Amino acid sequence: MSSNTASSSAGSGDSSAARKNSKRPKYSKFTQQELPACKPILTPGWVISTFLIVSVIFIPLGVISLFASQDVVEIVDRYDNDCIPAPARTNKVAFIQGDSPKACNRTLTVTKRMKQPIYVYYQLDNFYQNHRRYVKSRSDSQLRSPKFENQISACKPEDDVGGQPIVPCGLIAWSLFNDTYTLSRNNTPLAVNKKGIAWKSDKEHKFGNKVFPKNFQKGNLTGGATLNPDIPLSEQEDLIVWMRTAALPTFRKLYGKIETDLENGDTIQVTLQNNYNTYSFSGKKKLVLSTTSWLGGKNDFLGIAYLTVGGICFFLALAFTIMYLVKPRRLGDPSYLSWNRNPGGGR
Amino acid sequence: MDKPPPSISSSRWSNVSSKEVTFADLASKRIRHGSAGADSEMLSMSQKEIKDEDARLIYINDPDRTNDTSFDFTGNSIKTAKYSVFTFLPRNLFEQFHRVAYVYFLVIAVLNQLPQLAVFGRGASIMPLAFVLLVSAIKDAYEDFRRHRSDRVENNRLALVFEDGEFRDKQWKYIRVGEVIKVVSNQTLPCDMVLLATSDPTGVVYVQTTNLDGESNLKTRYAKQETLQKATDLETFDGFIKCEKPNRNIYGFQANMEIDGRRLSLGPSNIILRGCELKNTEWALGVVVYAGSETKAMLNNSGAPSKRSRLETRMNLEIILLSLFLIALCTTAAATAAVWLRRHRDDLDTILFYRRKDYSVRPEGKNHNYYGWGWEIFFTFFMAVIVYQIMIPISLYISMELVRIGQAYFMTRDDLMYDESSKSSFQCRALNINEDLGQIKYLFSDKTGTLTDNKMEFQCACIGGVDYSDREPAESEQAGYSVEVDGIILKPKMRVRVDPSLLNLTRNGKATEEAKRANEFFLSLAACNTIVPIVTNTSDPNVKLVDYQGESPDEQALVYAAAAYGFLLIERTSGHIVINVRGEMQRYNVLGLHEFDSDRKRMSVILGCPDMSVKLFVKGADSSMFSVMDEVSYGDVIEATKKQLHAYSSDGLRTLVVGMRKLNDSEFEQWRSSFEAASTALIGRAGLLRKVAGNIETNLRIVGATAIEDKLQRGVPEAIESLRIAGIKVWVLTGDKQETAISIGFSSRLLTRNMRQIVINSNSLDSCRRSLEEANDSIASDDDESVALIIDGTSLIYVLDNDLEDVLFQVACKSSAVLCCRVAPFQKAGIVALVKNRTSDMTLAIGDGANDVSMIQMADVGVGISGQEGRQAVMASDFAMGQFRFLVPLLLVHGHWNYQRMGYMILYNFYRNAVFVLILFWYVLFTCYTLTTAITEWSSVLYSVVYTSFPTIVIGILDKNLGRRILLRHPQLYGVGQRAEGYSTTLFWYMMFDTVWQSAVIFFIPLFAYWGSTIDTSSLGDLWTIAAVVVVNLHLAMDVIRWNWIAHAAIWGSIVAACICVIVIDVIPTLPGYWAIFQVAKTWMFWFCLLAIVVTALLPRFAIKFLVEYYRPSDVRIAREVEKLGTYRESQTMVTEMNQIQDPPRR
Repeated sequence: MSSNTASSSAGSGDSSAARKNSKRPKYSKFTQQELPACKPILTPGWVISTFLIVSVIFIPLGVISLFASQDVVEIVDRYDNDCIPAPARTNKVAFIQGDSPKACNRTLTVTKRMKQPIYVYYQLDNFYQNHRRYVKSRSDSQLRSPKFENQISACKPEDDVGGQPIVPCGLIAWSLFNDTYTLSRNNTPLAVNKKGIAWKSDKEHKFGNKVFPKNFQKGNLTGGATLNPDIPLSEQEDLIVWMRTAALPTFRKLYGKIETDLENGDTIQVTLQNNYNTYSFSGKKKLVLSTTSWLGGKNDFLGIAYLTVGGICFFLALAFTIMYLVKPRRLGDPSYLSWNRNPGGGR
Repeated sequence: MDKPPPSISSSRWSNVSSKEVTFADLASKRIRHGSAGADSEMLSMSQKEIKDEDARLIYINDPDRTNDTSFDFTGNSIKTAKYSVFTFLPRNLFEQFHRVAYVYFLVIAVLNQLPQLAVFGRGASIMPLAFVLLVSAIKDAYEDFRRHRSDRVENNRLALVFEDGEFRDKQWKYIRVGEVIKVVSNQTLPCDMVLLATSDPTGVVYVQTTNLDGESNLKTRYAKQETLQKATDLETFDGFIKCEKPNRNIYGFQANMEIDGRRLSLGPSNIILRGCELKNTEWALGVVVYAGSETKAMLNNSGAPSKRSRLETRMNLEIILLSLFLIALCTTAAATAAVWLRRHRDDLDTILFYRRKDYSVRPEGKNHNYYGWGWEIFFTFFMAVIVYQIMIPISLYISMELVRIGQAYFMTRDDLMYDESSKSSFQCRALNINEDLGQIKYLFSDKTGTLTDNKMEFQCACIGGVDYSDREPAESEQAGYSVEVDGIILKPKMRVRVDPSLLNLTRNGKATEEAKRANEFFLSLAACNTIVPIVTNTSDPNVKLVDYQGESPDEQALVYAAAAYGFLLIERTSGHIVINVRGEMQRYNVLGLHEFDSDRKRMSVILGCPDMSVKLFVKGADSSMFSVMDEVSYGDVIEATKKQLHAYSSDGLRTLVVGMRKLNDSEFEQWRSSFEAASTALIGRAGLLRKVAGNIETNLRIVGATAIEDKLQRGVPEAIESLRIAGIKVWVLTGDKQETAISIGFSSRLLTRNMRQIVINSNSLDSCRRSLEEANDSIASDDDESVALIIDGTSLIYVLDNDLEDVLFQVACKSSAVLCCRVAPFQKAGIVALVKNRTSDMTLAIGDGANDVSMIQMADVGVGISGQEGRQAVMASDFAMGQFRFLVPLLLVHGHWNYQRMGYMILYNFYRNAVFVLILFWYVLFTCYTLTTAITEWSSVLYSVVYTSFPTIVIGILDKNLGRRILLRHPQLYGVGQRAEGYSTTLFWYMMFDTVWQSAVIFFIPLFAYWGSTIDTSSLGDLWTIAAVVVVNLHLAMDVIRWNWIAHAAIWGSIVAACICVIVIDVIPTLPGYWAIFQVAKTWMFWFCLLAIVVTALLPRFAIKFLVEYYRPSDVRIAREVEKLGTYRESQTMVTEMNQIQDPPRR
């Protein structure tokens, strides 16, 4: 700011003269800071009714959230430990990296009627898909268009094989989840629809339909699933789902949808290929069959949170009302002004 | 005057010059304080001999030779522009990076460029800095372009320069030192020049220095008699000037001129400066001595001194706390990352989301982007610094500047602070201390021109010991005195109310002794002064007005008074004056003039009267006059006059005493020879002149005494009362004598009748100490009584710079009013310093004259009154205004608002940035302690720039916690600022707890709600972004007091803008978060989370805010209720207010 105060040239001197004989400021509500304004103040009435309104809104919302959550039927089966043969359990990493057969059979029981669509998820725990090294290791332009095939600088260490770019490159694609599930109900195969599990926007705009996997999983270390090089990326929905990296270290990814209802008492046999190595960082793997409500999956937290906040607000409304009745203060009473409270002490 | 300089022995020479060095030091020390103390500098400068190494030589009318010497003179072209096309970029960047904030930005951006630390993309990390730099650069470039343009206009103006035997037009930029220039009436001077000749035969010119110091009255400058005749033939003009090096003192100049082997000394009255305008003189010839950037005007052309606001200084503590907080966060991140890496050190090579080894290079693998455990910790730490950088709210500094500009705009546009009489509105000269106006505890005020109008009005005359003070009633609107000369009616411009009996007396002529005395009295008033009469035309061609211009308002008042009684001063040249005595023109030769100086405290003039007698007239302060009176012959009259003077001064009038003496021939001749010797002396000239004056000013016959009323400005008593109720201690510092000061004290309601007056009026250190200690004890014993301390300048000499300062401070603190009289300018600064060094309370000094400059600059806040005494005070001040009473709206209204707004804005900025940083931090705990941000990097950058900044600036400029009317009605509300209730470390901590709570709510509600779900990073990031923006803006909304349309637009607009930005970022397909916001906003979960976050985050604040405001109401809160609900019980509060005032005194 100092620069422009110094700028007025005394030689021309117009500035000082102008300053001295400045015109009377034109009166306007704006310049006098008298614009019409609303001046709300927190009166007990306002505050108590605010709390009441909040509680009146929040408690029902909490209740319906809880109901929504209760409506969701969810079957969770953790299999990472059980699907390793007992003798191999001392060194799970060696087992999973070895060549021994990985097939595993699980049986699930439906305890409550599940209406279609039933979503099949895999859930990983302790898997940091949001790790800094991991999330950066991708090339979004490469995914979109074959033109940018060579934009792999961010993808290290999974960027190329022998100088040829990997498509899709990067750690995220490389670590694509590769456990597979085959479901059957009461010994009849249960179809799992794997179409339409990814976002439409991703399929249409983010993953190109002319981009085909190249050199994928051809490096020295195989991370996860391989991709069919004849199917364009926009159709590789498992990849698309996987590459929407999860925000939190415990997450689910959609595997497929079951489009028939499951009845109470049904048993579901799952034949799964336990290929994916979460053992090196003690990650858990779970298979989840779940319906959804309008609010999402099974999670009571929000309902409880709403009830708690609504309850607190109700309590506060009550408490303030009592306080107001017991010890009211007349609003705008000048005798409360500090200089009126202790006369003589005209601080 | 034609003598060569007297030869002086070398020993004495050196003696004197060594003494002069101290003078010079003093002078240069003064200059630092601006152009203060003009008078004293003039004295010291004229006494100073120029040393060769400090001088420049100018050969008159020989620019080639002048510029050929080893001195490096600049040309006359000026360059106020700072940059050229080529230097703009480097210089502008260099200047911009002088701000610490920018350096911080830069360091962070550079850190981010290191590949190991690259948290943000290149674009996102550079953008904010580049944006700010670009905006400032454009602003600077535009300003500089305008300067270039005005420079060009200025440099191409034309002036008449003597070349090859005639005067030719020449562009200003080609004018060289040594050239002779002719300036005609109303022209602006192109450079500083020494006068050689003027159209006036006596060599007088009148100049207006408005452009230089803002004073609009005419100043007289003289050409030397010796050069007057010579200048008619410039071709043969041969001589040189030896003058001091260029300096910025516009009131001092010292040089010698040598023509034809004779040496003349030149002083400030012989030079006219660049930027002045020639008035009332047809033409003037001068030789250029300083040109271009070396002119005094250009050297003075520097910025105002910069002060830092108290709030900003206080804020530094919290900034340090925040830095520690930042370091703590970064350390936590680094430490937890270290633990995780250590625990998984064996698996890092293959962990799917880590993959330390790159196997494509060698079969056994090579570390990829991993530099070892220690380095990883180190990098994590600095990455954390980059990610959490906005914890230190750098944008706050920029916002504060914008807010202050906005506040300044509203202060200058305030209708209440526009001065109708001088047509000047309020000025904010310093832009960085607006909020200090809300915390003032001590007010130091000058009296003359500040509390009073400095429009002197002649009230009473005491002639020959007889008092004439019956003024004619104001209603009788007579035409006033006028006289007809050659068919033209001359009228004084200002009417003065006259005493009819005295008027009759003067009209009756010389009939009686009394009448004779009265005539003599008014003759001396008309003659003994330095006023320049200027005859101006009116709409009626037959009527002309006589306007009296002069530097002293007292003299103006006296000359107008003389005119009203028929002694109309019509003409003044350096050689004679013409006075019209009731129609009869009388010409008096001015044989000698001893100007007023502060040592003698009087001035005198020696006139050759029409009756061929020579008379000496002296006028001065009573204290200095009675000692030079002939007490033997006129003892009775002196006694009577003294009594009368006492009565006058206890009425608050300013008094002067007039004396005269007839000089006989021998006396006159003796005086003349010594006067000439003194006035051509090269060293100690002022001292010699003073001595000559002292010798002749003796044995005077008392003629009379005058009393002038220094009228209080409108609204001063009310203003002082308001300020007092507001808890501001008002100290009045005046040069007046004690009685006058006390009476002004009463009339301005600074003092009241029931105050006990403690007068300290001592002549020695011991007595001073004794009376101070007595005073201290007497106050301590009895604290119910209000006390006024009155101390005079002599006592202050003993007190200041001494251990007595403490005692004085204690006494002064306990007094309700302090009045310092007969204070010298330097003491004013001393008193301010005395208070400033002993308390942390804010001080404000207000004054209007050059003598207040030191005080104005010493105080935390300096206010200048743009009044009668020129503009030095304004130039040195931080704020300038037209009237003292504007202080009330300035402090009580604008100061209060500015302080509240700024305090709140700082806290809010800390909060809003910390909330965001904490959200980022919480997330790091769930990303394996790596600095991933779910919120996109563009949102992190835009958060403090776009999403949340605009409302704080708008609220910082516009919000008002209370209305203007109620603030003025209850000055006590000002205490909020004095007690620093708007911003304190306690408030900071409350704010920080709230911050932690709010950030936790914003972060953890979605975290738990989405735990183990399919939520992806970008969607959750968008939810956090929007939640943070909404919460932070609603938090502000909760504290907004006045919801006008601008506040609505800013707050809701910001939320909308943030949503639009989030959407825009999410429609870019190459970013990972493509379409996330649409996907997530489709779900009910998103909206349920948002609602839960907003309500839960703000709930505690809302409840506590209400509880505090309802059960522990602050004054501001009560006042707001009063304002809103109108439950104002007029009668009751009026009673309580009146109790405070305690018997409003009226004179």
